[in-house]
Amino acid sequence: MSTQSLPQSIEALVERCDRIIEEPGFAPAVAWKQAAPNRAAIGCFPVYTPTEVFYASGVLPVGLAGGGNRMEIAHADSRFQSFICSIIKSTLEQGMTGLLDDLDGVVFHSICDPARNLASVYTRNFPETPVEYIHFPQNFEAEEAPRYLRDEYERVATFAGELSGRPMTTEDLRAAIRIYNRVRETIRRLYALRRDSPHLLRTRELYPLVRVGHLIPPEEHAELLADALQAAATREGRERDRIRVVLTGSFCEQPPLDLIAAIEDAGCYLVDDDFLIGRRWFNGNVPENTSDPLLSLAEDYLNASLPSPVKHDMRISPSELLVERARSHRADAVIVLCAKFCEPSLFAYPIYRKALQVAGIPHLFLEFEEKMWMFDRIKSEIETFVESLLFD
Amino acid sequence: MTETHYQGKLHHLQKELMSEYYAALTASANGSGVPAAYLLIGGNPVELLRAFDILPVFPEVNALQLAVRKQSLPFIQSAEFMGYSSDNCAYVKADIGMYFGGRQTPFATIPEPSLLLCNYVGCNVYLDWFGHLAEFTGQSAFQLDIPFIRSASGKPSKEDIEYVLRQLHHLIGRCEEITGRKLDEEKLREAVRLSSLTGDLWAKIKHLTKRTPAPYDAYFDSVTMMAPLYCLRGTPQGLEFFETAYAELLAKAEAGIGPLEKERFRYVIEGPPPWPHLRAFRDMFSRWDAVAVASTYSTVGGLWEFGFTHDPDHPLESIARHLLEWNLTNRNFLQRYEQIERYLEEWNANALIIHSVKSCRLFSAGQGDMREYFTKRGVPTLLVESDLEDPRYFSEAQMRNRIDAFFESIAHRPIREGVTA
Amino acid sequence: MKYAAGIDVGSTQTKCIIIDENKQIVARALTDTGANITRAGERGYEAVLAAGGIAREDVLCVVGTGYGRFKVSFGDLQITEITCHAKGASMLFPDTSTVIDMGGQDAKGISVQNGEVVDFVMNDKCAAGTGRFLSTAAETLGLALDEIGAISLKARNPVRLSTVCTVFVESDIMSYVAQGKKTEDILGGIHSAIAARTIALVRRVGLKPNYTFTGGVSLNVGMVKMLEEKLGAPLNVSPDSHYMGAIGAAVFALEHAMSTAAAS
Repeated sequence: MSTQSLPQSIEALVERCDRIIEEPGFAPAVAWKQAAPNRAAIGCFPVYTPTEVFYASGVLPVGLAGGGNRMEIAHADSRFQSFICSIIKSTLEQGMTGLLDDLDGVVFHSICDPARNLASVYTRNFPETPVEYIHFPQNFEAEEAPRYLRDEYERVATFAGELSGRPMTTEDLRAAIRIYNRVRETIRRLYALRRDSPHLLRTRELYPLVRVGHLIPPEEHAELLADALQAAATREGRERDRIRVVLTGSFCEQPPLDLIAAIEDAGCYLVDDDFLIGRRWFNGNVPENTSDPLLSLAEDYLNASLPSPVKHDMRISPSELLVERARSHRADAVIVLCAKFCEPSLFAYPIYRKALQVAGIPHLFLEFEEKMWMFDRIKSEIETFVESLLFD
Repeated sequence: MTETHYQGKLHHLQKELMSEYYAALTASANGSGVPAAYLLIGGNPVELLRAFDILPVFPEVNALQLAVRKQSLPFIQSAEFMGYSSDNCAYVKADIGMYFGGRQTPFATIPEPSLLLCNYVGCNVYLDWFGHLAEFTGQSAFQLDIPFIRSASGKPSKEDIEYVLRQLHHLIGRCEEITGRKLDEEKLREAVRLSSLTGDLWAKIKHLTKRTPAPYDAYFDSVTMMAPLYCLRGTPQGLEFFETAYAELLAKAEAGIGPLEKERFRYVIEGPPPWPHLRAFRDMFSRWDAVAVASTYSTVGGLWEFGFTHDPDHPLESIARHLLEWNLTNRNFLQRYEQIERYLEEWNANALIIHSVKSCRLFSAGQGDMREYFTKRGVPTLLVESDLEDPRYFSEAQMRNRIDAFFESIAHRPIREGVTA
Repeated sequence: MKYAAGIDVGSTQTKCIIIDENKQIVARALTDTGANITRAGERGYEAVLAAGGIAREDVLCVVGTGYGRFKVSFGDLQITEITCHAKGASMLFPDTSTVIDMGGQDAKGISVQNGEVVDFVMNDKCAAGTGRFLSTAAETLGLALDEIGAISLKARNPVRLSTVCTVFVESDIMSYVAQGKKTEDILGGIHSAIAARTIALVRRVGLKPNYTFTGGVSLNVGMVKMLEEKLGAPLNVSPDSHYMGAIGAAVFALEHAMSTAAAS
């Protein structure tokens, strides 16, 4: 926990986040668990896991963000084929090599078919590890869906309470909603700042600031983000001749930090992205102090959560939303950056492509893998794209 | 070396009935006035559509028909031209390509949908597929959200059943709007009654392959019976087909006749077939005198052989149970291991073949773990890889090599009387 | 003296072996398969008969193996090279428990007991870990395939590959060349990545010594060393190891001839 009173520079804050992100294992979670009784930590994908429900039950939801580009898959590819995305295999590999030993359980849900089956494979390979699976409603119009999801959350809360030995109370949940609201509100302000003044806050800086929230308790994260907001707002700089880009497609498997830097260095200001979108969750704040906060959370998932290709809300058109997002962010272009073999994001692309073409917004389609190590090829592709726009 | 292919009465009747079905689709496309609903195979609630005289259209069945007739590739390529990835499910690509190709196939003109019924039973690609159809047709899709089986008991919860029932009532409302008619409860009960009789016969047919020799191939001949099971279930024609099929297969079983001259190996097969190369694939097993005695693929639409039956006295409840619990797709991956184990034991099989298809990750993701599990339990297991729709993803020489090597390796082992787990 | 022959018709080369009744190799022949696979078996057979100075009628039995095994129309049996590799490896190295085979198109792991296949795995659609990957790498560096192994042994600081994808390895290599990395370090990285990938594959049938390394890549000294290092165990490698399929086929031919003779 940061106790320094001196204002910190963005560089120093980002460096701290980078260090935590790149360090294998879950040291901050372990420290948090040891600081008080009846605490546990659980691994979850960064896609709409109800963090509040876990945290209110004394369980720190720790993000499973893949293996990065330093891990060699030596065991898990015997379980999942070559046409399955990397994060599925790297998550299993981490389990098989003991890197998840500090976690007390794992929670999965229906992000995609491989994630669905991974829940089973994980259960079989680690019979000692508690595994939970959440069914998120895909019928957003059904009036009974909020109630159904509320009950599902209640079931999850019971599971989490058993892990920590501390059953959740309504007051605990209200407090958790408040702290996560604070985190998300600050993230939204940082995103707005980057949209308005991308030269003051690079995405290579914003991204680790957000992502570190996977690994540390929300109170600490809220403070860190507040520091970052203050530091960024008072930063000085001059806007450069770069294209403004909305990036989409990387909501689950995460690109290497160096890839984000490479995209920016190729001449782009990333003015919006969907990195970790399901972790950021909501457009606005979840109502605080309601009589049934579980229901409030459920309603907000159905009505106010940020869109992604794993949510199939038939009331909205994802392609219209993307075009709207590009316009409201005054973007010159869109980059669709899909994880290799990520079926949901690959399926979103043809729909995006058509809409972007109709709207006259240039776009570039790219694929990446978390284990990428060299970026020359992808960078020169982006440079060519940027040049084609700048010299038009 | 045997390469006989069993062609009985049931195969001919299937052709006849399916032509009639496709003629009805073409008529609807040409303005017969009969509305059509697109829906998915997994746990399909076709009975509800029957009650409204809505024609069921299964994009998966259309896609596989295209593949079997070697017509899928141009459609797949036109979808890839639109931006679909080579790594996306080729069923979807063939269907979308066909949709934009004027819905013309060699077997029917596919009508525009009056209803896009996305019965989401565990397959996340279903959601993308119907989401895209909604985008392209300008129709809104009805997402029938079926909670995935996630309890240790393998059963849906009370809340799950209640939630599905409520959605079925909304679906009825939607069908009433489309047809301008109130639900005729008697008609629904009749469709469910026909389904229950059909399902019972299908279950009996499934159990016939417990005998030695198996009277038919539970993979290559089962697929012949699957189209009527989905496209015609809940109708008198559907029932008639299964009565004919059961009578014929029972007679063969009683006479001790199998699909091959000799039955040497009995295997269980997991995964959908390589439709574009079905004949070549079948021959690779026939030449080893190997017969599939059970297949998981034949339980995608419903899992009748383990005791499920529709209940005309509780039509909606039984439709809900079918969707939730009694089909392969909505069950979790470990339940599939259990299903295969039952087949190995009760159907007396010596080996497991896993046909891993790239398109369908619901089926394939994690099959390496399945291989590991069964190999460790002493079940000779072979994993081979191709695709269910994309003809480019099949290497005949490589496939045959692996299958030959597998049978060579088990040929010298004593054939066990089933594999005990 | 009576003999038995094994003919392995592969996609690029046809390998033929003749053994005598004591399972001693008496003749070898290596010919290009060429476009006409049907002819390839016959030509290879003629070559091996000529090499051993053996008359056709003294060969009791011929077994065809490899992708073109069904084209060995004059053969008595056809057996896959997987089964034949296991047999051949066990003849040359009777204690073999695991066969690691790296050929042009396939990589495989075979678990063996008494010369018979217990379990096997092969690479999936992805060509990583096969000879093709290495030949792409050699080509990109402008080297001959048979020299890269020895050069890789000189690596001091092997690079890390970001992909084992045959399609993309070329651009990775070009990037390293542009960065001024030494050829031996690039090759060291390539050999290490492929060895790791192969071991991950073979692990599926169990990593059980004693290991026999077969296939064309087994002649690559760099790969042999890399595999040995990563496995922490020595590999049996024979100068005849690319003949392993044909040797196994010949042993099957001999066994078949014996059992037919015993039966009649």
